Amino acid sequence: MRIQVRRTGGFGGIQRRGEVDTSTRPDAHEWHALAERAVAAGHSAPSTGVPDGFHYEITVDGKTVHTADPRLTDDQRELISRVLKEGA
Amino acid sequence: MTTHGGFEPVFCTIVPPHVLDRLAQHEDPALAGPARETLERDAYERTHRRLTTVIGAPTLTAPVVSDKPQRTIYDAKHKQELPGKKVRAEGSDPGKDATVNRAFAGLGATFELYLNAFNRHSIDGEGLPLNASVHYDVKYDNAFWNGEQMVFGDGDGELFLDFTIPVDVIGHELTHGVTQYTANLTYFGQSGALNESISDVFGSLIKQYTLGQTATEADWLIGAGLLAPRVSGVALRSMKAPGTAYDDDALGKDPQPATMDDFVKTGSDNGGVHINSGIPNHAFYLVADALGGHAWEKAGQIWYDVLTGGELKKDALFTDFATLTVAAAKTRFGDGGEELQAVSKAWEQVGVPTS
Repeated sequence: MRIQVRRTGGFGGIQRRGEVDTSTRPDAHEWHALAERAVAAGHSAPSTGVPDGFHYEITVDGKTVHTADPRLTDDQRELISRVLKEGA
Repeated sequence: MTTHGGFEPVFCTIVPPHVLDRLAQHEDPALAGPARETLERDAYERTHRRLTTVIGAPTLTAPVVSDKPQRTIYDAKHKQELPGKKVRAEGSDPGKDATVNRAFAGLGATFELYLNAFNRHSIDGEGLPLNASVHYDVKYDNAFWNGEQMVFGDGDGELFLDFTIPVDVIGHELTHGVTQYTANLTYFGQSGALNESISDVFGSLIKQYTLGQTATEADWLIGAGLLAPRVSGVALRSMKAPGTAYDDDALGKDPQPATMDDFVKTGSDNGGVHINSGIPNHAFYLVADALGGHAWEKAGQIWYDVLTGGELKKDALFTDFATLTVAAAKTRFGDGGEELQAVSKAWEQVGVPTS
């Protein structure tokens, strides 16, 4: 499974990306479960969000969903944080 | 309002504030003069009028509002729940947490500029309490306005420091609130870039007012002091020279254009709201620079008149905003004055048509 995260917007308007390929990871099962929950709670189109809020695109095996601060689910927050940290 | 002789008493009793605002900008001095005088009266007279003349018709008068801010700072304690634990309220002494104290002071500085320069009571004009949460999330590289309050992250320490450090960042977030309560510019595309630019303009003015700086003395930077020492850059944006604030391996290069020739078309960042804001930002700088002195007195007043004048549409384009600033310069400072000339010339320089 390929999990990609793109963060845009924010006060600085500076983009960040991360990508994790779970195929060689021992904890792949855990990643898959987290990614599926995060995607299930996402939206098919981006929202306007709040002024200066971050926007996130989560792409799992080619399927992209959108979400934005401050209304992330705990799963989305964890997935985004891990992908941007480990897959930068 | 059919006879000229009755203006004073009419204004004093039943004319709603928004009508007075409009009349105060009228070309006919016979209409504008009394309206302005009425708007400028002190809190005592407002109180007196309210108590003696409008009982039974409370919606027709301005509420009595305090000239003091009502600030509360919360500590989110590195979690995402808002607002978090209340850690400082109005009247309490500074505590040990510098972040809390900076946020408190920044809210006060913002309140002061809006009150003293534009006679606006807080962000809604009616004394709305100002709430902010600090220490949001862990190493959070952002600050935002959630529609009700400000939220500040600590920064990751590697690229960004504490978001309460620059007072213009605090002013920027609060100004999103002012915009929400006034023109309510849609946060997408050109209207979104105008929304962003207005927050940068008044954020910078709050810093300049706090430091007592003239347009020449000001740095015209947004977020100076926010970037960590290892980052190659001075701030996040420059109104004086858009596109030059940073150029760094990790952050990339400041993407802001200064003129319409370099307008960026993108779907990201709500259609580039933090990118194309460089164009109206630079126009404001050019006006302020041409007029000199304290930027909030003339350039800031013109921008404020447009933001609050009721004619700026939610989905305004740069040219709509620019055209209104020309009209506001004329109404406020007269036809043929240096203000009108400076405004027209600035928009011409950044490539935005004004009619």
